[in-house]
Amino acid sequence: MKESDPILEVDNLFASTDNLPILKGVSLTVYPGEIHAIMGRNGCGKSTLSKIIAGHPSYNITNGCIKFSGANINSLEPEERAQSGIFLGFQYPIEIPGVSNLEFLRVSTNSRRKFLNKEELDTFDFEELVKEKLELVKMDHAFLSRSVNQGFSGGEKKRNEILQMALLEPKIAILDETDSGLDIDALRIVASGIKKISNEQTGIILITHYQRLLDEIEPNYVHVMADGQIIKTGGSDLALELEKKGYEWTDDFVKEM
Amino acid sequence: MKIIENIKTNKLIDKQTEIQKICHQKLQSSPLPNLKSELWRLSNKSKISKFLDYSVDEKDPKFDVPYPKNSKSNIRLIIGEDCQIKLKEENYSIQQLNEDELDKYIKEQISCFDQNENWSDLLNLSLSCKKNILGLKINGSKIPPIEIFSHASNNSFNAKTLVIFLEKNCNIELLQVNFGKENSSLSQSTFIHLEENSSLNHGVVSYGENKSNLLNSLNVIQQKNSKYNLGSLHFKFNYARFEIQIKQSVGHAKTNIKSMQITKKDEQISTYTKIDFNGPNGFLDQINKSLADDKSHAIFEGSIIVPKIAQKTDASQLSRNLLLSKLAQIDTKPQLEIIADDVKCKHGATISQLNEEELFYMRTRGITLTEASKLQLSSYFQEIISFIPVSKDRWDLLDKILNEN
Repeated sequence: MKESDPILEVDNLFASTDNLPILKGVSLTVYPGEIHAIMGRNGCGKSTLSKIIAGHPSYNITNGCIKFSGANINSLEPEERAQSGIFLGFQYPIEIPGVSNLEFLRVSTNSRRKFLNKEELDTFDFEELVKEKLELVKMDHAFLSRSVNQGFSGGEKKRNEILQMALLEPKIAILDETDSGLDIDALRIVASGIKKISNEQTGIILITHYQRLLDEIEPNYVHVMADGQIIKTGGSDLALELEKKGYEWTDDFVKEM
Repeated sequence: MKIIENIKTNKLIDKQTEIQKICHQKLQSSPLPNLKSELWRLSNKSKISKFLDYSVDEKDPKFDVPYPKNSKSNIRLIIGEDCQIKLKEENYSIQQLNEDELDKYIKEQISCFDQNENWSDLLNLSLSCKKNILGLKINGSKIPPIEIFSHASNNSFNAKTLVIFLEKNCNIELLQVNFGKENSSLSQSTFIHLEENSSLNHGVVSYGENKSNLLNSLNVIQQKNSKYNLGSLHFKFNYARFEIQIKQSVGHAKTNIKSMQITKKDEQISTYTKIDFNGPNGFLDQINKSLADDKSHAIFEGSIIVPKIAQKTDASQLSRNLLLSKLAQIDTKPQLEIIADDVKCKHGATISQLNEEELFYMRTRGITLTEASKLQLSSYFQEIISFIPVSKDRWDLLDKILNEN
């Protein structure tokens, strides 16, 4: 028996886009303080699951439900989910030319603070806060004056995602291949940032292909996805096993189902 | 169409000036442009009729400029309000052109006008009375930014004309603002002459009110080694047409244009540009953006003419368009007419909608769809607005565009 209520419950979730089924009955429960890793081949539905939890309008939930802090969020808009504490770290963070990173971060942070009934921050107060958070991901202040993600290297974009996570203080963070495109040093910086931000009240879902991120952040559970379903769940050893065996066996597993 | 009837029956203006007479004569046999021609075929006929359906008003009521003055050093002039200017400072001078100088220059221009291609200027000059023609001769450097305002009064047709001579080595920033009042038509014609080594950063901002109309014509002649930058923005007109004609007389000149039109409701706003390279080593970098929402219609037609004499021309023309509604319409036609064989010319056009992935990204950060759309639009506008000189008004403008219907 767990002592607290789950933050996130995905219950037998089926979803499709353009009438093409992508998720075929995913169930997943995350409690406060837990770190879950979802692994699997390209195209198995990992990123789709993360986008559906975040409310991407291109996907339709055809069956099942997503509960966040006990409430069904199937019909909530993406911004309502974000404001209430769901954070999605993108595999490919979007560039928004002409929109200053600082202003973007301030507007985002204030939308979350408003939901939490905290005072919204003006530019000066926000600069103070962001300065402190920049330290977590070892980012230079100059990034703030540039357009959102524009001209950022792959590593800089991922660090900017973690900076956003730090500012938004989510209850659950789903990090979609945050380790892709990072060199060893950048990976350590990002991993250390994630560890500092997470605490006993937050849940984290790491979507990844590789063990190397999990060397830095040890998950409580590892789930293997194939063909839109979670086909196996285990402890952190399962990730090591996958590293050795690869994903070929998952194809056979799906065929037998 | 009151104005056309008056042209036909010779009742346009009492006590016509010589220029008004010449233009009137040119229009009398065929007072309307050829609406089937390439230049006019997309114009909404009923909107043109409404544009021409007001009586000419020569007595403007006093105009209160809605912008606070940017800085004390800025020079602000309102066409039609007895602007008398004669500034002679240590580094520069700004003087009004006298009647003879103005007549001579305008007559030269009219002599090569084509009834269809220059219809907007012919109409303007046949209606613009002396008081509504402002001519300036500017020379020197470190000149304070100049703001020039034109406006139309309610329920009337107003014609305003601006002539500017930039003398050799002169360098200025000029913001021209055209206001359309409710139920009004404004005809604004501008003639700019850039002498050798002169440079002009020119902003043209035109915005209207309910059922206002605008016919805005801009003619620029560039001499050798001159540089002309134009940033323009047209929005909130029932019908507006912006015609830009730029001629690099002997080549060896630079032109940069960043223009934008925003249409909503059932508005129609169009931009026509003709860039004529009349000598070698000319340069052009042009981008026109349109944004069409609701049932509106935005039009861009641009032509770049590179005759044999214009070798080594380097010209680029890009039309980028955002279609925000299923019922909105965008027509765009960038085109090149090249005869010279040693040139670098390119053109292109794109029409797209708001980027859904960008919107989703912003929404996952708690930003509402409305705010995210505004942010995305402001980033779309930014490139143009930041190119419009006299900076204070830029931010007011962005706010105005994003928050007004």
